[in-house]
Formats: sequence, structure tokens, C-alpha cells
Amino acid sequence: MIISDTLRLALGNLRQSKLRTALTIMGVSIGIASLAGMVSLGVGLQDQFVGRFMQAGVFDAITVSSGNNGGLPALLGGRGRGGRAGRGGRGGRAGNAPADGAAASARPEPPALDDAAMATIKALPNVKDVFPNIRVPLQMHLGEFEELGTAMGVPMSAKDEGAFRTMSAGAFFANDTDETCLLSLDMAKRINETDPKSLVGQTMTLSYTASTSTPGAPAPMAMPAMPGMPNLGALLQMKRVDRAYRIAGVVKREPGAGLGGFGFANVMIPLKRAMEIDAHVVRSTQALLTEAPTKTKTYQSVTVKVTKAQFTEDVEDKIKALGFQAFSINDALQGAKRAFIILDLVLSLIGSIALAVSSLGIMNTMVMSILERTREIGVMKAIGASDSDIRRIFLVEASAIGVLGGVAGIVLGWVVGRAINFGANIYIVRQGGEAGNLFSLPWWLIAGALAFSWLVSLVAGSYPANRAAKLNPIQALRHD
Amino acid sequence: MGANIVRALDDVSLTVAEGEFVGLLGTSGSGKSTLLNLIAGLDQATAGELLVFGDDLAKMSSETLSKHRQKNVGMIFQSFNLISTMTAAENVALSMMFAGVPRAERECAASDLLASVGLGGRQTHRPKELSGGEQQRVAIARALSNTPRLLLADEPTGNLDSRTSKEIMALLKDLNERDGKTVIMVTHDADLAKRYAHRIITMLDGKVLSEVTA
Repeated sequence: MIISDTLRLALGNLRQSKLRTALTIMGVSIGIASLAGMVSLGVGLQDQFVGRFMQAGVFDAITVSSGNNGGLPALLGGRGRGGRAGRGGRGGRAGNAPADGAAASARPEPPALDDAAMATIKALPNVKDVFPNIRVPLQMHLGEFEELGTAMGVPMSAKDEGAFRTMSAGAFFANDTDETCLLSLDMAKRINETDPKSLVGQTMTLSYTASTSTPGAPAPMAMPAMPGMPNLGALLQMKRVDRAYRIAGVVKREPGAGLGGFGFANVMIPLKRAMEIDAHVVRSTQALLTEAPTKTKTYQSVTVKVTKAQFTEDVEDKIKALGFQAFSINDALQGAKRAFIILDLVLSLIGSIALAVSSLGIMNTMVMSILERTREIGVMKAIGASDSDIRRIFLVEASAIGVLGGVAGIVLGWVVGRAINFGANIYIVRQGGEAGNLFSLPWWLIAGALAFSWLVSLVAGSYPANRAAKLNPIQALRHD
Repeated sequence: MGANIVRALDDVSLTVAEGEFVGLLGTSGSGKSTLLNLIAGLDQATAGELLVFGDDLAKMSSETLSKHRQKNVGMIFQSFNLISTMTAAENVALSMMFAGVPRAERECAASDLLASVGLGGRQTHRPKELSGGEQQRVAIARALSNTPRLLLADEPTGNLDSRTSKEIMALLKDLNERDGKTVIMVTHDADLAKRYAHRIITMLDGKVLSEVTA
């Protein structure tokens, strides 16, 4: 028997009992709608969650820190001492920190996170960009507004990434030589509650305390720093620097708040500017007194951008092999991913209950239909239908119910999802949240729901179809 | 049930020649329908052998048996057994559908067959819209659709009035004589059997009671 004939025969049979077929299809569609809706909710929530990180542009970022401060890098705050403390002759300060030296001797010598190391990392395959994470303490001043805070260095390459792609107002730095800055929306609101966007184009004064000595070269009056002995020469070389920065734009979202990429900061300035300030800024009197400028510039942490998010793990491993500490958001997301898998599983289990009920509906319809058509089956067998012909006819009938129910179910699920989403967003926005898609219906979910609906109908139809195929033709012909 | 084995057919031995018109006569329960069903391949004998065109039906698988029903025999029933939801043409085409005949070809053949049984203008009618005689003609057209050499008729005139019965019997006689189809007809009407059959086999309690050649 030709398959198109089987299909024609099966569809013809379904048309014979339109109401029953329609009701069964409706049952299936409710089942599929509940299943697709539940999974769609799971996917939507996951998208919302992952999307936040995506927008922050952190999936393709790895934070690398020098191996000697152990554990996660100190993401907040400026350069710590760890990155600077010379060891084993580097920087000529070996004798200055006996405690550090002792700790270091227990472990293999970690490589320095300096420009040379950055170049090595940059040369790794799939690495797009490497830049140091520089944060400098500053005093901000604009009209009556005054605040002590941290400015973050942002590389020019970050222009098209995450948080900078959708600016609340203004634009990204035009170049990295002008003294321009970006403000977080939070900060902008603190300065001008009613119209934070009007700040674009205004000038903000950024002040810091600088040491007049040049890094790399010992200050004229600097003497070998001894423990407990104030470096008075350095103390005398401090001065206050005021710079006028034009506000170029306001950033809506925190760029990678707390993790990876840029960390939290309310003021962003071009990386080059931040590095210049960093070279001179005096973080605390104590630091000034106990630290002498080192010959080689090392960094507390640097950010490595990979060309594609999927290379993150690979690059991370290679960086670790170089002896550095490396951390990416992927590490943290592994746990979240597992949680979402469990959530999806639970949601689809709940959704499956309705589908299980509707599969019983399919089975019931098929059993009834076969009972009614017993004699017809007998006739078909008498005029040459084989057992498998009969089985196929009924399986195709069940499949048609399943697939039609699946299509209707996806449409129904989508409509209901939209409606719930609409209502929920009204509530979320009223609560001060941000509207988003709680339901997501990707193509794989549509295809999966259809396939699953078909599969369920085949399973539900297989018992009745087998029963029909095994009917004794003589008894079937006698049936009324 | 299990303990009481009913021998529907017991020690029946007969041969039907190609082109013959055989009447199987007997009261109900005599085993005549069982014999016809065995030849049709709707049932299988638990013992013995049944050769149709040289093949032993008793040894066939259910798939092969369905092929036998499809190609070798055409069945005609007392109650016509047409599918009520299908038109006359669709009913005739159905057995060709199971044989895998393409749609255009079988629609053409069904229309020719209906014309040949005198129902040229009734193709799109459903069984309900046809008289008993017309329904039986559709059934005969269907039985002929895969050009079998053997026609098996189970009380073909049982539900028809005498005038229509004559027409149907004339049609069967014609098929036997003109087209050379072998016909085996089950009936309880001795007169009918005598009038049309070349040979009459009378059965009783699963055994052949008598064999009379006309």
C-alpha cells in the first residue's frame, strides 16, 4: 500500500467523525500547550538570567591575576601589594618582605603579570584583546556634587560590547586621548535626579593625589625603604591634581557588575587615561611610605577577551598553564546551568501531566473508532489488506491527531504565554523591575513539541492499532 | 470452550477445476461457509492441506495470506459489505489500493469495472443511495478489481428479491462463462444451485454428503 493512500484513507476516516476528532485534537493541544508553555517558561527565565550576563559582556571575558595572591582576584579596589612585591631578586626588594618571601619559597615562583605576560597571553589562539584592569581612587566634583569614588579604565575595544552597546544617553569615548568620562546611570541620577541625561557634555572635575616621582626611576630623594622607617622623601613629593573631564555619556547598566570584565565603578574613563593616573596616584600614605616604585610595571589583574564565548574555557586553561590565576563567568554559571536544567525538568514534568491525560484521550478515541469500524476492518482484510496495512492506517490516524494537536497546542501555548507575559510585565514594571520575555519559544522547542506530540500519539495509538491489525477477519465481518 | 473442539470440517476432500462453477449447498452449521473462508484465506486449517493454484494455504503466513486474498480471490458477501462512507468507485478502488495500484490507474479501472456491471452512472453514489442489487453489483466489481481467477460468493442473493437475484446470478454466470472465472458459491437454495452450478456439493456436519454434477 502506498503511503499517500494510507494518509488519504486515515484522514478520510478522521473526517467521518469530525466532532470526536476535534475534541481529541483539542485535548492534545491543551497537553502540548501546557508542556510547551512550561518549558518555554523555563527557557524564558534562563534567557532572562543569561541575557543579563550577556549584556554585561562577560561571557567572553576571563579575569587573570598573578598567581601569588591565591584564590579569586580582588576585583574591587586598586592594586594590592601582591602584584608589586618583588621576589627572588625581581625589583631588588627581596630582603624587604621576609614574610612574603618565606611564603613564596613554599610554592613555585609565579610569573609576573606585566606587559610581557600580557603580550604572551595576547599571542594565545582565540584571544581578541588583553587589557589591564585599572581602578583609581578619585574625588569627583560637579557643581555642588562631590563624591569620593573609583574610576575604571575602559579600553576603546569595549565600545560595541554589552553595557556600552545601549547607552542611556550620549556616546562612547570618541578617542582615548581626550579627557572624557562615562557615568553610570546610578551616579548620574545622584547628580541630577530629574534629568540625568542632561549631564552629557558637562564637565566634571576628577581629582587625585599624585606622587611627582616617575615610576621605574628612583625618586631623587628616595632612600632604600626599611621596615618601620618612613620614606619621608616620597611624602614630600605629593600634590593634588585636578583634571576637567567632559561627560561623554551615561551607561544604563553596570558593566559586568562585580564579575569578569570591568567590575563595578560609577565613573569610566579611557584605559589609557586610567593608566596614566595609575602611574602617579597615591592610594594611601602608608603605601607611599612602604612601597618604592618598581622597575617593571605589574598588574593586579588583567582582562582577557576571547574571540568567541565557546573558547573561554580553552583559553582559561592555557592561561592557567602559564602559571596565572584565571577566572571566568562560565565557572560561576555551571552551577546556575545545573539549576536551570532541574527547573526545566520539573516544569516539563508538570506540563507532561496534561499531555499524559490527552494521550489517554487519543487512545480512547482510537479504541472507540476501531470498535465502530470492526466490520470495515474485516472487509478491508477480506479484500486484501494485510495486518500491517491496517496497523499503519490507524497509526497514521493517531499521528494526525497528535501532529494537529501539537500545532494547535503550540499556537495555544504561545497565545497563553504572551498573555501571561503581558500581565506579568505590567506587574514587574509597577514593582520597579524591567520588562522582559518570561516565555521564550525557540525553534527547537516548537520542533521538539511537535515531535513529542507525534511520539505520544504513536505510543497511545499503537495499542489500538495493534488490536485492529490482529482482528480475526471472519469475526470482524460478523460484527454489527 | 477449550475442551470441546468443534470440527467444522472433517475429512473433506475435493478438487475444483479451473473455470468451474461449483455450488456449496448445506444447512447452517454444515461447514460450507467455513470451507469457503478457508479457500478465501480468511481462516486457516489446523490440519490437512488446501492447495489453491498450487500453493498450500495452510502453511502460509498472515502476510502471504493477505496477498492471496488480494490477488487470487474475489469475495462476494450476502450483506454486500461495502464501506458506507465511501462512494461506489472508492469501494471498488479500495482493494486495488491495498495492492498498491497508483491512484489514477485504479480510478480508471474502477470506473470501467462499474460500467461492466451496469453501474456506469453510479460511481459517486454511496452504498445508502443504491438498491440492494446495485450494491451487490458494486461488490462484484470490487471482487473483480484485482483480476482474480477465483470468485468466492457467500449467499450472494441472500438479501435480494427474486428478480434482482436472477440478475446477479446472470452476472456471475456471465463472468464464469465469458471471462473463465472459477466460481464457488455457498447457498442454502438448492434450486438456485441447480440452475447455475456445474457441480453441487452438499455438506452436512462438516462432511461432504453428496457431489452431483449437473
